[in-house]
Amino acid sequence: MGRILIVDDTLFMRTLLKNILFSGGHTIVGEAENGEEAIAKYQELKPDLVTMDVVMPKMNGIDALKNIRAADPNAKVVMCTAVGQEQMVKLAVKSGAKGYIVKPFQAPKVLEEVKNVLGA
Amino acid sequence: MTDLPVKIEIDGKWANAKLTLGTDEIRVTGPKSFAIPSKSIFDLDAKGSVLGITTKEQENQPIKIASVDKVLSIVKRHILATCNAYRLAAYFMSPAVRGGVLVKDARWEKGGIDVLKTGIWFFSNTEQICVPLADVASIELTKREVQGKNTDVVKIDHIEGTEVVTSFVLCPLTTLQILHNFLKDATKSMDMEGDLDPKSAQVAMLVYSGMDTASIENMLGVSLKEIDRIYDTLIRLGLAEVVMVRREVKLTTKGVRYITDATKV
Repeated sequence: MGRILIVDDTLFMRTLLKNILFSGGHTIVGEAENGEEAIAKYQELKPDLVTMDVVMPKMNGIDALKNIRAADPNAKVVMCTAVGQEQMVKLAVKSGAKGYIVKPFQAPKVLEEVKNVLGA
Repeated sequence: MTDLPVKIEIDGKWANAKLTLGTDEIRVTGPKSFAIPSKSIFDLDAKGSVLGITTKEQENQPIKIASVDKVLSIVKRHILATCNAYRLAAYFMSPAVRGGVLVKDARWEKGGIDVLKTGIWFFSNTEQICVPLADVASIELTKREVQGKNTDVVKIDHIEGTEVVTSFVLCPLTTLQILHNFLKDATKSMDMEGDLDPKSAQVAMLVYSGMDTASIENMLGVSLKEIDRIYDTLIRLGLAEVVMVRREVKLTTKGVRYITDATKV
């Protein structure tokens, strides 16, 4: 089970992910509303995994991913984005994302993906 | 001509038979021998190791055959290539997304698509995948990056067991438009008229994600009574169905006595 940082600009999505991950036995060590906050929280909390929304104010998820990976090349980040933004996948994978979730998602598959990434 | 060993259902009983796949017909040789003209087949369904072949002559009583996967795959491929269907050559990727998670080894398969009476079939040399029309949740003409280019594709979301699965179809744009319109029309009964209020939409999203009633209550900070009202709306609109009714109970005097006794040191 992992220590997870959830990054999403909507409270609704953060709460949903928190519930799903908690039900899978994970610990939610923190939440962030944008890319800048995500970088700061990552440095402070050193989570095992980050779920990262792509479209966010101040700094988007891809830039935050690049920053986090630059500081910690072993960082495990699972990108989380809306339907229609799948084109971001390549960019995210190129930037070091370990997994990708498309909204809307179903709890068992999210837990499976997180488990896979944590175990990788 | 290819001869294949199968079992065929005759009068509710399974019997050994041989299928001979011809260009225009499938010949069945067994306790009852007959031919199935390829063009009379207008529907095909697969449940486990049983194939149901629906013909014009036996519209209400599909011919059921059973065999091992390898044989069924050959039969399916043959029927899908020769039956009476709206057929197009296409590339498909199925499944591409499962429950919101990208399928890691998903790749484009070169093959065809048959739209039959009750389902869409994707077929290639190695795959034959059926999506029942009744399980199609949404159809969208959208763009996807294919070999570095933004390409038009049809995106089909369908239900597989409890999972929402996304498949993609790639072919020339005019064909895609025809396919999209055809499928839209065939699944029109699934369209929602109007919109939900924001709270009901949130509840629907949480149900989609697999949250139970207690979690939804906590997450949205709404009462059980309010959740019940929203569930009623979702059910009335055909967006949800009841799968389980939970009960809340209180202990009777006998129950209280049992607990009191059980906790005595």
